Amino acid sequence: MILPEAGDLLTPAMAIDGFRLGCLVDASTGMVLASAQSEDAPAAPTAAAGAADLVNVLTLLNGKLATGEILEDVMITFSDSFFMVRPVGRDTEPRILLLVVADRHRTNLAMAHRSLRDLCASFPA
Amino acid sequence: MSQNSRRTRVRQLAESVWPGRTVNGYANLIAARLRRLADEGSTGMLPVAGRGDGAVFFRGGQVVNAESSRTSLPSPRTSGLAALGLTRREASHSPGAPGPPGPPGEGHPGEAGLVAARSVSRLTGMLELTELIIDALTELLSSESRYAKFRPAEVLPVGQGRPMPVEALLTEVQRRHEVQRQLAAVLTPDTAVARHPSLDPPAAQVSPTQWSLLARAGDGTTPRGLAMQLGRSVFGTTIEVYRLLELGLLVVPGRPPPPADGRLGTGISFIRAVSGERGSDALPAVS
Repeated sequence: MILPEAGDLLTPAMAIDGFRLGCLVDASTGMVLASAQSEDAPAAPTAAAGAADLVNVLTLLNGKLATGEILEDVMITFSDSFFMVRPVGRDTEPRILLLVVADRHRTNLAMAHRSLRDLCASFPA
Repeated sequence: MSQNSRRTRVRQLAESVWPGRTVNGYANLIAARLRRLADEGSTGMLPVAGRGDGAVFFRGGQVVNAESSRTSLPSPRTSGLAALGLTRREASHSPGAPGPPGPPGEGHPGEAGLVAARSVSRLTGMLELTELIIDALTELLSSESRYAKFRPAEVLPVGQGRPMPVEALLTEVQRRHEVQRQLAAVLTPDTAVARHPSLDPPAAQVSPTQWSLLARAGDGTTPRGLAMQLGRSVFGTTIEVYRLLELGLLVVPGRPPPPADGRLGTGISFIRAVSGERGSDALPAVS
């Protein structure tokens, strides 16, 4: 882990029902800054790399469309899990992404979505 | 800061010990040396010479700093090579530049990180410093680099940097080399780029970082040059320049324009750059 101190920021995400993996990811380089995981978690480097790739594609889409919009979050549903990605901070160019992977059968998506939104909003600037 | 002077002095140090060449160049030898220093819990400096001259600083077997003449320094204040007299003194005192490094332990931008990263701004600040250290390591661990004799020290001149485990750093450097290999057919840190001749800003939306690159891009500009100019990571800047190529806002002079769908070959994939192994660097497992 490159920035183990950043693990503190992930602690609230671990309270989400069905939590499997949480990562803070450098959006620009795809580097994992910190991670927390349960025993059945997917590989953090691969999940984080996928999150960064997703956001990069969506940023490219946004850049091409030039609508002036800002990416708020990404929610992906797999057969057994949810992948949720949200930029941390309120900058127009967020540097850090929060990725949470949760067990689909134990997670209320709406509640998890709300938890992540509140969590990111609660990070001190 | 004079990079030529630093390169010369570090090369002189490196020439004192010249390891045998391997099939894959010297990078594996340097990685092995870093692992051994970690195992021994070493404190001191490992000079590295070659395409990117510089040094890796250890404390207690963990890396606290790395510098390369081909990447940006966090600031003159954090330069361990300057404190050891391996750079020209006057360069550290250029107008507007902070003074030379203070006494060991006096303070360091990463020192706050030893407490905790409880705010986004602090985390971002730690990331910026860490990014430049990993950027230097990525350059130093190229196949053309060679290490010199390790110089042990009781106290490092770079203050209380945030220690990082060698194995995590080597994994990250390997991932970055893989990303660079993906981009190599289109763009390297030393590829000259230029603004698109018919650049139409309202036709695309760019981030402030990308805009700062666009504003500085001219004939012969390279990602490395932009990074050094802005004090940013060469690796990160190369990726941002590639994204500007994808958006059609920058071009590589002399190369045919990208196809209508804007795709530049296979593009960047961070997933392809990581191995399939399960991560082991996480917080303790939760039930």
